[in-house]
Amino acid sequence: MERDELVALITEEVIAQLKKAGWKAPDKPVPPPFAPQEKAEKKELPPDFDIASEEVKKIPLLENPIDPVELSHMKKRTTARIGVGKCGARLNTQTMLTLRADHAKARDAVMKDVDENLLKSMDLFSVKTQCDTKDTFITRPDLGRRLSPEGVETLKEKCTKNPDVQIYAADGLSSTAINANLDKIMPVLMKGLESKGLTVGTPFFMKYGRVAAEDQVAEIVGAKVVCVLIGERPGLATSESMSAYIVYNAHVGIPESKRTVVSNIHKDGLSAVEAGAYIVEVIEKILAAKASGVDLVK
Amino acid sequence: MSKILSVGIDIGTTTTQVIFSRITIDNTASYFTVPRISVLDKEIVYQSPVFFTPLKQQVFIDGEKVRDIVAGEFQKAGFKPSQVDTGAVIITGEAARKENSKTVLDTLSDFAGDFVVSTAGPDLESVISGKGSGAYQYSIDNLCTVVNLDIGGGTTNIALFDSGKVTGKSCYDIGGRLIRLDKDGTVQYIAPTAQLIADKVGVDIKVGSRTDEAELSKITDMMADILAQSIGLEEATPLAEATRTKTSSTGTFRQPIERICFSGGVADCIKSTSDDLFAFGDIGILLGRSIRNNPYFAKARRIDASQTIRATVVGAGTYTMNLSGSTIYYSRGIFPIKNTPVYKLPADVEEAMFKGNAEPLIQGLKWFMSQSSSSQVIIAAKGPHNPTFQTLEQAAGCLIKSADAVMGADDALIVISEEDIAKALGIAMNNASDKRRRIASIDSVSVEDGDYLDIGSPLMDGLVVPVIVKTLLFG
Repeated sequence: MERDELVALITEEVIAQLKKAGWKAPDKPVPPPFAPQEKAEKKELPPDFDIASEEVKKIPLLENPIDPVELSHMKKRTTARIGVGKCGARLNTQTMLTLRADHAKARDAVMKDVDENLLKSMDLFSVKTQCDTKDTFITRPDLGRRLSPEGVETLKEKCTKNPDVQIYAADGLSSTAINANLDKIMPVLMKGLESKGLTVGTPFFMKYGRVAAEDQVAEIVGAKVVCVLIGERPGLATSESMSAYIVYNAHVGIPESKRTVVSNIHKDGLSAVEAGAYIVEVIEKILAAKASGVDLVK
Repeated sequence: MSKILSVGIDIGTTTTQVIFSRITIDNTASYFTVPRISVLDKEIVYQSPVFFTPLKQQVFIDGEKVRDIVAGEFQKAGFKPSQVDTGAVIITGEAARKENSKTVLDTLSDFAGDFVVSTAGPDLESVISGKGSGAYQYSIDNLCTVVNLDIGGGTTNIALFDSGKVTGKSCYDIGGRLIRLDKDGTVQYIAPTAQLIADKVGVDIKVGSRTDEAELSKITDMMADILAQSIGLEEATPLAEATRTKTSSTGTFRQPIERICFSGGVADCIKSTSDDLFAFGDIGILLGRSIRNNPYFAKARRIDASQTIRATVVGAGTYTMNLSGSTIYYSRGIFPIKNTPVYKLPADVEEAMFKGNAEPLIQGLKWFMSQSSSSQVIIAAKGPHNPTFQTLEQAAGCLIKSADAVMGADDALIVISEEDIAKALGIAMNNASDKRRRIASIDSVSVEDGDYLDIGSPLMDGLVVPVIVKTLLFG
């Protein structure tokens, strides 16, 4: 028996029983304003649609959900892959491909280099750490924390000495994050700090850089505060997330707890300009307190 | 963590109530991100009994007696007016009662601590009662649409919430005290809307004549129908339009509405199955029964209000204050400001501004200032998502240019945006004015043209400011 027939039969029987018990049907026919929701419309996608795009991910793949509206509410709450359906014990082909596409994006973010043209347009010179290749960078974290001898020389030669603040960018684990955010955050940082009457050192870019390399930078240029803008290890949700690690009076070997962090800088998190404006204020506070990291919170 | 004391005073058609609540705010963001100040808790610390609103000549509110009630409640609650940080006094319900509302509010002015606002208008009342009833929070928690009908003595305030956003508001002159009776069923008072409905359903009713349950039920059944029509459950009739409160919005209520919530005094009558149908000497209980039996409402998925008769006062006391975003910019000492009109930039003016073209903004601002009775203005923009600093600098340049052209040198330039850009825009504005002009840039607040704002003194070490959005005081 079909499901609809079954429902009709049951309804009929319930009404008959209710009538026996003295129930009267309402006089007016009642429209069902709240009852069945219209089915979530299936959008026609162009043949070349991007399965990893936000728009496509929003569409539930689960067929015939009992409550499609509730499912769309649940999907609004999370970027997790829910309501994707399955094929036997496995993921559907599209889900599988989306997952792999997102993973590929994350790998790209790690493996790619920062766009040379971007650095050129922003007038940033480059220095390298002791890593020669991406592979060394990933397998030898210790080398990513030390500048190459040429790098040290370049900084000594090109950077203004003893500024209040030294700002620089490093690829870290996501070049994509630097490509997406750097040109948006730098102007507001530089102008914001200058308008506070602070001296800002010569900005530059560090290739194959990890966070703790900023300690060596601090020693070389003699800055009171160093702030590195660095790509965060990408996840499957976004590969564009950047962080700022800010440290007061750093030296090589300074404890990690002395760093102040502003994380989650990307277009769907904290926008780059607003992050820059906020970092200006944090740096001002750090200079006033002569402390950063956990010491600042005390 | 900060605690704010808020007072809510609701002077309705039928009842007057006062509540005090304590609002707790704190930074809920982790140490590794920017601060996010949110309201953590709203605790009602004192609620007054429900007083009948003292009236003069059956219609006007007796300001002196209202004042006595409020003074008594401050004393009983143990608070001085100076301790109150925020809140609202609102006069709600039948329009006729509002004729002397300005005088009434004046008599209450010494209870209006630094930040108590006086506000009125049926649309705003609808939103306030929908927040106080819990409908608003339910729509956020369950990401759904909830309509709230606050059925009081003189009016029904209707607000539709979609996941925390107000998407429809309206008000109808329908309530439980539109007809009042004495003990033996003689009619003492009929409001114009009730008379209109009575004529329509063919019930002959006038002051001084006797009436009965059957006749009154015809009237209340029609009232229930009108309410069903008002939110689009049933096709609207000309009668429904005739009973809509004149100064309220027509309100389009996009279907399907997923949940429905009743508040106000009549909400309690929808559930009650009391035998004494005229316990209150009015048609409230009958109206409740008519709504209960209405086939359209019977179909609806109902939720229980967390506040019924107190929904409006709770809404006024705890939901009128919003917090700005937590990354904002302002010159020292610029806040508090009160009763400042909002100039919401038309889309084309805003677009030109972010492209660096100041002329439309200067013209628009000139026009607005010439229309406005206030010498102060708040400029409201939507703002671009994830902009470059250069875009903000262009806008900042235009803003400073137009402020120089239109405002006095000592007037503060205050800008409010929806997108999270305020701090960066503030830096840009400060640079553009060579730090000469006092400026403020606030975000994450949504305002409409014609709104007035109160912005309070900064809270939480200056991270946020409290913002109260209100519609025109006495439109």
